[in-house]
Amino acid sequence: MSEDDAIKVAMAAIWERSRDVILGRVAVLEGAVLSLLAGDLAPDSRRHAEREAHKLAGTVGTFGFWDASKLAHEAEELLAGSEPISPADVMRLSHLSVQLRRQLERSAEEANASAEATADEADGPRPKLVVIGESQEFRDRMVSEARSIGVEVIGVEAANDAMGVLAAANAVVVDLAAPGAGSGFLEQLHATHPTLPVVVISSGDVFQDRVDAARRGGRGFLQTPVRPAQIFDVLRDALVVSRDDKPTIVAVDDDPTVLAVMDDLLGPTGARVVKCAEPLRALSFLVEHAPDLVILDVDMPELNGIELCRVLRNDPRWASVPILFLTAQVDAENVTRMFEAGADDFVGKPVLGPELVARVRNRLERTRMLRLAADVDSLTGVATRRRGIEVLDRYFRLAQRQRQPISIAAIDIDHFKQVNDRHGHLVGDMVLRRVAGLLAGFFRGEDIVARWGGEEFVVGMYAMPADAAQRRLETALATLRDEVFEAGDSTLSVAFSAGVAEFPKDGDEWTALYRVADAALAQAKATGRNRIIRAGAEQPTGGTD
Amino acid sequence: MSRTLLLIDDDDDIREIAQLSLELNAGWTILAASSGAEGIEIARAKRPDAILLDVMMPVLDGPTTLAQLRDDERTKSIPVLFLTAKARPAERDRLAGLDVAGVLAKPFDPMTLADQVQTALGWRA
Repeated sequence: MSEDDAIKVAMAAIWERSRDVILGRVAVLEGAVLSLLAGDLAPDSRRHAEREAHKLAGTVGTFGFWDASKLAHEAEELLAGSEPISPADVMRLSHLSVQLRRQLERSAEEANASAEATADEADGPRPKLVVIGESQEFRDRMVSEARSIGVEVIGVEAANDAMGVLAAANAVVVDLAAPGAGSGFLEQLHATHPTLPVVVISSGDVFQDRVDAARRGGRGFLQTPVRPAQIFDVLRDALVVSRDDKPTIVAVDDDPTVLAVMDDLLGPTGARVVKCAEPLRALSFLVEHAPDLVILDVDMPELNGIELCRVLRNDPRWASVPILFLTAQVDAENVTRMFEAGADDFVGKPVLGPELVARVRNRLERTRMLRLAADVDSLTGVATRRRGIEVLDRYFRLAQRQRQPISIAAIDIDHFKQVNDRHGHLVGDMVLRRVAGLLAGFFRGEDIVARWGGEEFVVGMYAMPADAAQRRLETALATLRDEVFEAGDSTLSVAFSAGVAEFPKDGDEWTALYRVADAALAQAKATGRNRIIRAGAEQPTGGTD
Repeated sequence: MSRTLLLIDDDDDIREIAQLSLELNAGWTILAASSGAEGIEIARAKRPDAILLDVMMPVLDGPTTLAQLRDDERTKSIPVLFLTAKARPAERDRLAGLDVAGVLAKPFDPMTLADQVQTALGWRA
């Protein structure tokens, strides 16, 4: 790929990452317009809005939004100075802020649309894997294998060629035999991109290579000859949902210099850091980003951290999110005040990176464990309905942004009540466990298999069209049908019925999609069970009774 | 020949994009700093061939940073280019009147930034 393409790819990634922040700037402008319309824009807020407009003017054009840059610049000019803004200019500002948002939101979609047009398949921006390897043949095989699972491979011959494209990558494969790809390169890679998953390929099983790779954040170590499928097995989660699976931290601090270093400080935790410089807007940040942890500065002028913490603790949505304070005063009185307000932990200022990282990691890990308990169905080991809903929610947001299909299958074990009645609940439980295990085995790591209740399961499949989902279910059903369950002296076999629906074709929310899938399931039951019906399809497929 | 250019800008995105485009399109070595103070420190230690300096930054803005660079023996003769989103001609003229090799406009086009820098610095053969 050419340098220009590399820049475009990287810019798209930066835009994707920065878009929320940039739209946040537009929100400040919108807030100022509302205050102007109400006739009470404070001088400070006006300066703030002017600064945000200035930043927008200087930034968005670089991403290719030249018109938006002009709009922002005009807004900056109108807000400059301290003399009252005329009603006509207020109207103009209102218009500018509306146009700005429209352009930046629409343009991002258009940018996606044009990326689709140039991609091999029209399925939107795809996850990117950088492959560093000397062999053209190996790189070519990676490219063709990747295509089938919707991943874009950027192949480079030598380690040096990779540095420019890494910013846009979701994962990287390094063949140690490639020029410049020794342990020094791995070290550099780990230092510059600490959270980027790396798979190392080595020609021999050199123990030192393994140690080097593991020390430098290697996700996997494979020995040549390597099949592309092995690599994708190791990287599957990284390439599909890793960006969205990261824990999210919202950091609220009115001091921009503290916020500015948060990314660097918290980098080693692997979390995504959302920075909020305005305590008054913290709630909307929390709603938007649903953080796994909140970092609050104690001393903020408009709304101090203690007050904000109390507000959060009184809101059922944030009553249990871990809150960590940053404070310059660690005297007993102040510490008591923080814990009384509902803090989980605190770190003294000036903030020391390793201490902050250790405390944040601790909290995130604890939350993860607690979640795990609520997320995993204790009988079957698959996700609970609660967890299923959470993941489906997230997949839908992701799919809407990345323009990917999602399939949902509603699955119900046939005649399950009879199994329980005839063979007892222990056998019923065994059947449930087996069906759950079978489904979990037949679907990819990134698909969500949840026990919806009783003998009903739901599978959510990201980036999988319904016909592919249906084929998988058919294989799973055929496998299940062939199995013989032992129940005391007798044996039994089991089948299921399923309905499949696809986003966006059959619905644009997961709830709507689930209803369609459930209706297809009902139809499968009504037409003889032991079959899979795709919503909207005329003919059921699957087994025969 | 390979050149080293120091980029001083408080906007993470701008820094990242400019760095990418200059590294890839021109093949220069890019040093990056997110504040005037950091930039001055790097300039003194590494003596880059040129400096690309954002005008509007908190604490030390572009012109103040420039003045401090000019006050130091180690950095006084390094050519500096301003990078500014100020579009008013009067403002640009004021900036160009300081001891700089040129003033580049923000937003810039990442595909042509390297060209603009080379032209402004007279680095073209």
